[in-house]
Amino acid sequence: MTKETEKTVWRDKADKESARDNEFGYSTTAELSRKAFRGELPIKQRACLEIIGAGGKSKVIELGQGELTIGRSPGCAIQLRRSIVSRSHAQVTFRNEEYHLEDLGSTNGTYVNGIKVERCILRNNDQIDIGGVKMLFSEQKSLQKL
Amino acid sequence: MSPASQAKTLVTFWGTRGSISTPGRTTEKYGGNTPCVGVRYQDTHLIFDAGTGIRNLGLELTEENTPEGCSLHLFLSHTHWDHIQGLPFFQPAYRKDTNLTIYGSPRKERFLASILEGLMDFEYFPVGMSSFSADITIREISRAPIELGGLRVDWQEQVYHPGGSVRYRVSANRKKIIYATDVELNHIFQPAGSSQEHKALAQDYLEFISRADLLIADGQYTDEEYGGKVGWGHTSIELLLDVAAQAQVKQLAVFHHDPQHSDTFLDELWMRNRSRYHAAHKEMDIFWAREGLTLAV
Repeated sequence: MTKETEKTVWRDKADKESARDNEFGYSTTAELSRKAFRGELPIKQRACLEIIGAGGKSKVIELGQGELTIGRSPGCAIQLRRSIVSRSHAQVTFRNEEYHLEDLGSTNGTYVNGIKVERCILRNNDQIDIGGVKMLFSEQKSLQKL
Repeated sequence: MSPASQAKTLVTFWGTRGSISTPGRTTEKYGGNTPCVGVRYQDTHLIFDAGTGIRNLGLELTEENTPEGCSLHLFLSHTHWDHIQGLPFFQPAYRKDTNLTIYGSPRKERFLASILEGLMDFEYFPVGMSSFSADITIREISRAPIELGGLRVDWQEQVYHPGGSVRYRVSANRKKIIYATDVELNHIFQPAGSSQEHKALAQDYLEFISRADLLIADGQYTDEEYGGKVGWGHTSIELLLDVAAQAQVKQLAVFHHDPQHSDTFLDELWMRNRSRYHAAHKEMDIFWAREGLTLAV
């Protein structure tokens, strides 16, 4: 009996508050059909290599979803004009939604975070070193412009 | 130089996490899959442990789809879940053109074959081991080293892990790669009373890993954590570093990361200690083993 009384009191209070809120017009929310939540915006996966140059100057190269070669040769997408960089030194490939860095049999090696690697799946903020040229890998997902 | 001497041995980390897989955003750099390491020398494929990481190795081997099929040699350190749980998801095991030999310790109460069959018992998994189409041989290793296509594999039992485990050494082209996980070196190198038995075990370990070009070793805990995990069968990172340096190891991959160690935790641990590590162990390259990483040895 006591419990029932308390319940009634609580309901009365809630009803009064609700009625008061309605006077200001902000307590009710228009209902949307669930269909309205089904539309999804397309996501774009973006990845960049930031090449850190002398004096802190840097150049940002956006990575696509194909292959990108790094080396001394003019045919490379990222050309590094240093004698210790091999003609075709390393390659970045997008595969299974991940970026893979692969050494192409270079003379002086490809380093990720200080480790000499043959292949490596790249992760955000990995630091790559090719012939003394430092690069920062970063990736992010963002909404595609409609 | 002959082509054989120019050939590289490639080591790939497919799973580096200890105890249980830890998928998610916080472990994507060092990896969430449990132990599996691939060693490839020319056409010879060795695999160390069949943790959940072996699934991705299987996918890569299937993608390569060599017309002559493939011959694979899987060496198990032991049969705790985290080291065998990926086997039922290893695609090449379901291909007729695969030859798979599985090696493990002979010092088990049950035969290795029956333990692996138990893993795929109907109560645990809907497909039994008889569904594997590959030609599978299960071998309990003997005292003699194993010679495989220019590689030699030696092994030793490790006692300080519940149920025991095995460490392996691969020699190719005058290079040595050691896979030595799931062992509590703190028990051997820091015993309360330094007995003759401990000294002999320490000597065995140091000789086995001596001058390794790459040592992949259990470093699950920090020193602070180890205090609460004595007897759990894993080594603290600081002790591992000291032991590896003592054995003049050239490159050390700290492996079998604790499930609680996120990427941020491991990165911060590295940043805090790297200067000290380098100063104390000048001749040794040290890194946290990382899933998706391939090294040439």
